[in-house]
Amino acid sequence: MSDDLVKILDGNTFVVSDGRGDIEASLTDPTGLFSFDTRFLSKWVLTVDGQRLNPLSVDDLHYFETRFFLVPGTGTVYVDAKLSVIRQRAVGDGFREQLTILNHEDKPVDLTVRVEAASDFADLFEVKDALEKKGKYSSRIEGGKLLLAYERQTFTRSTAISASAPARLDKNGLTFKVRLEAHGKWTTEIEVSAQGGQSAETHKRRRENMEGNLERWVRGAPRLECDWEPLRITYRRSLVDLAALRYSPPITPGKSLPAAGLPWFMTMFGRDSVFTSLQALPFTPELAATTLRVLGLWQGTRVDDFRDEDPGRILHEMRYGEMTAFEERPHSPYYGCADATALYVVLLDEYERWTGDRKLVRELEPEARAALNWIDEYADLIGNGYVSYRRRNEKTGLENQCWKDSWDSISYRDGRLPGFPRATCELQGYAYDAKVRGARLAREIWKDSTFAAELEKQAAELKRRFNRDFWVEKDEYFALALDADGNQVDALSSNNGHLLWSGIVDKSKAKAVARHLMGPRLFTGWGVRTLAEGEGRFNPIGYHVGTIWPFDNSFIAWGLRRYGFKQEAAQIAAGILNAAAFFDGRLPEAFGGYQREATRYPVQYPTACSPQAWSTGAPLLFLRTMLGLEPVGDHLVVDPALPSGIGALALLEIPGRWGRVDAFARGEIDLNRRSELQPQLGAAEQVSARRR
Amino acid sequence: MTDSTAEFFQELGGRGHEPLLEKATGIVRFDLVDGKRTERWLVTLDRGDVSVSRKNAAADCIVRADRTLFDAMARGDVDGMAAYLRGELTLEGDPELLVLIQRVLPGPVTRGAPHRGSAGGSDRR
Repeated sequence: MSDDLVKILDGNTFVVSDGRGDIEASLTDPTGLFSFDTRFLSKWVLTVDGQRLNPLSVDDLHYFETRFFLVPGTGTVYVDAKLSVIRQRAVGDGFREQLTILNHEDKPVDLTVRVEAASDFADLFEVKDALEKKGKYSSRIEGGKLLLAYERQTFTRSTAISASAPARLDKNGLTFKVRLEAHGKWTTEIEVSAQGGQSAETHKRRRENMEGNLERWVRGAPRLECDWEPLRITYRRSLVDLAALRYSPPITPGKSLPAAGLPWFMTMFGRDSVFTSLQALPFTPELAATTLRVLGLWQGTRVDDFRDEDPGRILHEMRYGEMTAFEERPHSPYYGCADATALYVVLLDEYERWTGDRKLVRELEPEARAALNWIDEYADLIGNGYVSYRRRNEKTGLENQCWKDSWDSISYRDGRLPGFPRATCELQGYAYDAKVRGARLAREIWKDSTFAAELEKQAAELKRRFNRDFWVEKDEYFALALDADGNQVDALSSNNGHLLWSGIVDKSKAKAVARHLMGPRLFTGWGVRTLAEGEGRFNPIGYHVGTIWPFDNSFIAWGLRRYGFKQEAAQIAAGILNAAAFFDGRLPEAFGGYQREATRYPVQYPTACSPQAWSTGAPLLFLRTMLGLEPVGDHLVVDPALPSGIGALALLEIPGRWGRVDAFARGEIDLNRRSELQPQLGAAEQVSARRR
Repeated sequence: MTDSTAEFFQELGGRGHEPLLEKATGIVRFDLVDGKRTERWLVTLDRGDVSVSRKNAAADCIVRADRTLFDAMARGDVDGMAAYLRGELTLEGDPELLVLIQRVLPGPVTRGAPHRGSAGGSDRR
């Protein structure tokens, strides 16, 4: 279903409609005009002389603008082409729709053009969970506008609709009496404005601005030249989608950070914003700076069970809708997330290594120290020296506070689920990395060598224990988690790749870990599955128990590279970038974990949301990894390892503490020679050729 | 009945320097409405140095709320951000200052996170 829907967005205002531009939402159907987690239009239906329209084509002009070409009449093969209707719609603080009707006949016609409008003002949580409303609705005509309104005590939201051409307004919509001369043209501009909360005040960017802004954004990023065309398309798509996903929180207007995804996740998420900022660091470092500032501003300072807040904890998710306002949901913001706090310190260090922005690192010293303190003081719920999670808000809090947050994602080999608290392995890796990086910042920038030495000691100690307690001796990989009794939750999973990325893995164990990641139980030819085939809960289309996540793979490849497995990293990059070509350069959140030989194309996960920030960021991180880009002092080291199918590649004007530098590479790793693999990249060339 | 609003502001002013507010420089005015009367508190922030007065002066951020609502916030019974989203508390000016002020408002009475040294029950870092 969602494949036929047309989505345009700007920040967290977005419109989801059908292919003719109409909106007919039900409580469970995610179409409508949404802004700040509230649906402002649930019905928006255009008719001409009482007839619905038939789409001829849809042009996506920009991520925030689209154009529908329509003709009257539906459901028949014969299309009455005496009239054309063009709907051009752009998102702003609501949307503006230019409606144009062309008469193709050589005689005048009289038409009744009608737009039906209504709003259920549903909170996004209500749309997802199909809940009932508690406030009052009203509809009235005022000052030449149709006002749809919702009120619950002091909480008010309204939608104002007006048109530039003369219209008769009633409580359910607008009617235009139109006389079109022979070959004549009629046009009007309809403005739909979402009001209430803070949206109207803080969301006043105009379209001219947005176009210029997008161009500047793309121009400001490094330029990619590459023989393999699908990668150029994917790169361009990633930059444009990342621009679309930029989100300026209403409390901190004017600063944008990556939101998590469309349509459900157009808001600030600690984990997603940090991971995406890490992926995009070599391309658009300003995203990381904003993410660090904004997440720092909202850092937890109190103990609040409802919000699972602790001092020093980085938020999980922020929401602005009615249910959050009335504390029926804890998202103002909600802190139930066990990884973002350590990852915050990781991002701060990585950001400084790239940009040399010591000022921000000094400015955020209290936040970074509080985050490091949280790891030791609040995150060790079992008392065994490991980060673990268990929600304190048992009604509406999150059960799984790691990135694999679905109910069945953490399991033993036999499929049993452990109790809580759960200490998943990647959390220990992130904590280790945060301590190592925190130590560098303390020594070099905060000038506190005592603290640095303490952190280094803790990190070394954590690494030693981790390699002992999480290592599944018999099969030579790291267990997915430790349960509350300290027993290994022993399923084989992609989390092993994140451990390589964090650096917590003993050198002597890395080879065995890489062998598992690239082995047939985890690697399909497209990428590494979340859970290995053969595990009790394995399912190739299970959300976190068998699908392939491009974001996950981008960090796994980075991890492989960190331990010197250049060829393996290139192979994963090739698989995922190859898959991207099948999705016109826009990687979905996840796709099926079927063997590549079995399906020949990547099977999209049924309910995956798209574009999603950390999928959008994945190709960027793959580029960094394949080029072997690494800041060393004030220089950028380039040490490429590219699949041969990519050919020549140049990434020009990479920003950083060195100013701007260029990286050049030629694909020399011949993946096709490895007999057990399907041809990589070559296959995608065929795909794009077919599509042309 | 204790006056939790007055206690909160007096205690805040008494802190002199508050590390949690080091990011903030500016003047926040609280206009607390009590029937026909408006009670004003002026909080001046300068990189963590805090001073509180009852002056009515121009401010970078003005917070408006019912006195009873703010009493509840000062006791930790009402969350300021949720009240803002409900429209019970309104803001004029720089909203970032409210996020920072919320840092020094007490959290709810809670059974608390099982963290090291929790016996003392300090709820601030």
